[in-house]
Amino acid sequence: MNKNILMLGAVILVLLLTACSNTATNEKEGEKHLTFVYNFATNSLDPNVDTSYVPLRAGITETLIRLNEEKLTIEPWLAESWEGTNDGQEWTIQIRNGITFQNGNPLDGVAAKASLERSLKDNIAIQNALKIEGIEAEGQMLHITLKEPFPEFISELVNPNTSIIDVTAEDYVNKPIGTGPFKLTSFTPGSKLELEKNEDYWDEKAKLDSVSFVFNEDSNARSLALESGNADVVFRPEVESLEQLKSKDGVKVESTSTFRVHQMTMNMEKESLKDINVRKAVDALINREEIVDSILLGYAEAAKGPFPSSLPFTPDYKEKETGADIAVEYLEKAGYALKDGKMQKDGKQLEFTLLTYSARADLPLIAQVFQSDAKKIGINVKLQQIEIPEEYMASNRDWDLATYSNLTAPRGDAGYYLNATYHPNGALNFSGTDQPELTAIIDELNRTIDQNKRAELAEAAADYVDENMINSFILHPDTLVAYDSKKVKNWVTSRSEYYMITNKLDVN
Amino acid sequence: MLKIIYRRLVEVLIFVLLITFVSFLFIRLAPGDPVLTILNVDELTVSQDQVEKLREDMGFNDPLIVQYGKWIMDYIQLDFGHSYITNQPVMDVLLAVLPATLELMLGSLVVMVVISITLGSLSALYRNTWIDQISRVFSIIGASIPSFWLGLILIDLFAVRLNWFPTMGRDSFISLILPSITLGVAMAGVYVRLIRSSLLDSLGQEFIRAARSRGIPESRIFIAHAFRHSLPPVITVFGVSMGSLIGGVVVVEVLFAYPGIGKLIVDSIRQRDYPLIQGYILIMACIVFIINTIVDISYRYVHPEIRLKGRRNG
Repeated sequence: MNKNILMLGAVILVLLLTACSNTATNEKEGEKHLTFVYNFATNSLDPNVDTSYVPLRAGITETLIRLNEEKLTIEPWLAESWEGTNDGQEWTIQIRNGITFQNGNPLDGVAAKASLERSLKDNIAIQNALKIEGIEAEGQMLHITLKEPFPEFISELVNPNTSIIDVTAEDYVNKPIGTGPFKLTSFTPGSKLELEKNEDYWDEKAKLDSVSFVFNEDSNARSLALESGNADVVFRPEVESLEQLKSKDGVKVESTSTFRVHQMTMNMEKESLKDINVRKAVDALINREEIVDSILLGYAEAAKGPFPSSLPFTPDYKEKETGADIAVEYLEKAGYALKDGKMQKDGKQLEFTLLTYSARADLPLIAQVFQSDAKKIGINVKLQQIEIPEEYMASNRDWDLATYSNLTAPRGDAGYYLNATYHPNGALNFSGTDQPELTAIIDELNRTIDQNKRAELAEAAADYVDENMINSFILHPDTLVAYDSKKVKNWVTSRSEYYMITNKLDVN
Repeated sequence: MLKIIYRRLVEVLIFVLLITFVSFLFIRLAPGDPVLTILNVDELTVSQDQVEKLREDMGFNDPLIVQYGKWIMDYIQLDFGHSYITNQPVMDVLLAVLPATLELMLGSLVVMVVISITLGSLSALYRNTWIDQISRVFSIIGASIPSFWLGLILIDLFAVRLNWFPTMGRDSFISLILPSITLGVAMAGVYVRLIRSSLLDSLGQEFIRAARSRGIPESRIFIAHAFRHSLPPVITVFGVSMGSLIGGVVVVEVLFAYPGIGKLIVDSIRQRDYPLIQGYILIMACIVFIINTIVDISYRYVHPEIRLKGRRNG
């Protein structure tokens, strides 16, 4: 018996000793290596289909057009220039000379055409978004004809699913071949990618020799990975652990406001919310500062409208007065009165059913803050937890309000958000907006090719939304990144969240 | 033996047919479908007409029985379909990640068996001593501690502070240790008490007293008689708890970024990727079935009485 216990002890000891000697790393001697931990995991790297966009984020693939993160406008990337007809139905794109894929094959018009056609064939979302009728290739030139006039076409090419890949290398899922500064050396589905510098990169060569791009969906575990030194950069660390991370020597936490907005969607088909004063009261009741400070711990920008203030088409909003008193004033204008602690009209208390969902952990908390503030002025708010908001809101109309999170200008253009959310036929038009004046502005935007004119129209639409209080906007959450600043150089937290591992990223 | 296996195979076919039908109904009756995810509505402009057209094209508007009929016909031809989201063949996706999960399940079972047999035996042998008290406390903590929390504590202690193990991934055997301990400890809590009580019961039996009176050494009595006699109830619970092990794997896989089937399936459920979910259910049903069959067969070896009874009845 004792012998058995001794044997067991010896095995455990050997295991522990082996463990101690393990410093699982892919870093070779003298090599510049970086480990990046991303908050999402994918089992497929297919650049044209998978919506985790890992190949683009990891610097394996590139698109024809990219977003300039400083100016928040589009700029050429694999494309050198582009030109569209006046109605935006025919486009000519000139591709840069001298670019090769990571397997040495040249990138020309034919290769780019094959890649775009492949994404159209295998990705119905891209098929819908690009509206391409036909593509012709000639040397480094692409001639693209669309099914209908579509001025936003070029900005849609920022979408990572339009990444240009070598379609002759057919293992898209496990080993896509792109043109980026890093090429894939190995991929463990759901776990990580190993990348190495692309020595034949067409632009400035990458400063790093190799990168481990690791997935971990648990925010606590990501923070711990940085603390232990297992990671150099972690995307979206646990917000509650930030103070602890910051106290560690060299750790820097960066926060950048994103193109996302958390909003209070209003069901305009409900009797009470048809009255603009009730909608204004809801808006006034939202205590944005408190929500930003207490729920997002300051890592968000209080919203004035759907678009963050950094975008060129965001109107200069007038300061709005908010608070319970203002809300009561609006409700009185709508014919309500506070009696016996209840906000009522014609003897009926004002009640809202507020939908919320847990996929974004801050939304249920925002809903609770609103519920508690509304209660103070006699409004009864019933919270209802739903699972898939898009599904529920589209097929049920028994709700009044919903906390919802939207991307507003993912490719630097307002067209997506305005069409999806405010056009009567938009798939995310959960408020049931059908305002001819607003629809006319959006339709005109859909026909306008000139960028300045588009910005004016987007601003006009945003103004209309604001004046008529169609939905109320709460905040723009920040993207948080924590990294070891003693080691990592040139890290840029991009607003679009598209560009992460770049050729400029470096380590000491 | 062959008769048992043959009977079991017939049972498995009926069982699989039933489970696929019930799971198909449940999955399809749950609100939502993958259309909005496929169209990437969170980032791309989509009209309600496009949503409706895709729903129609994919057959989601057909009556459920028609959808099930089409699906079961494909399954009979061993066509498990493609993932709606990534377009990959379902079995390719599932079989690629299954080994990692089986490895993790095996690792957790080893941890569980080592802990529960050691502590369970010690606490039975030294009943009402400090060893018994410690094992009691361990069982309570092990059974009640949430595995995600235990995992975080282990990461903090062994990966961050002591730097003995990696915090995440599946690079080598070492990566398996912390996740296996996390899951194994949670399961061991129940088994320690079970083994203890089962052993105490065995030790009080008359055949043990008879063995002692014949002068058989105590260690042999314990291992060959008492311990063996105490196994059937433990094995029964073990077979039943396979389901919870499969569930527990999900939490640990997410925490340790361990690329297994559990995490994959949580994402698939969220995205309503029906073909993947159905494929997963089929694989898991087969695994549970195989384990339960092994458990049934193992009874006959650890407990000759069952084998003899079977022979008498047959």
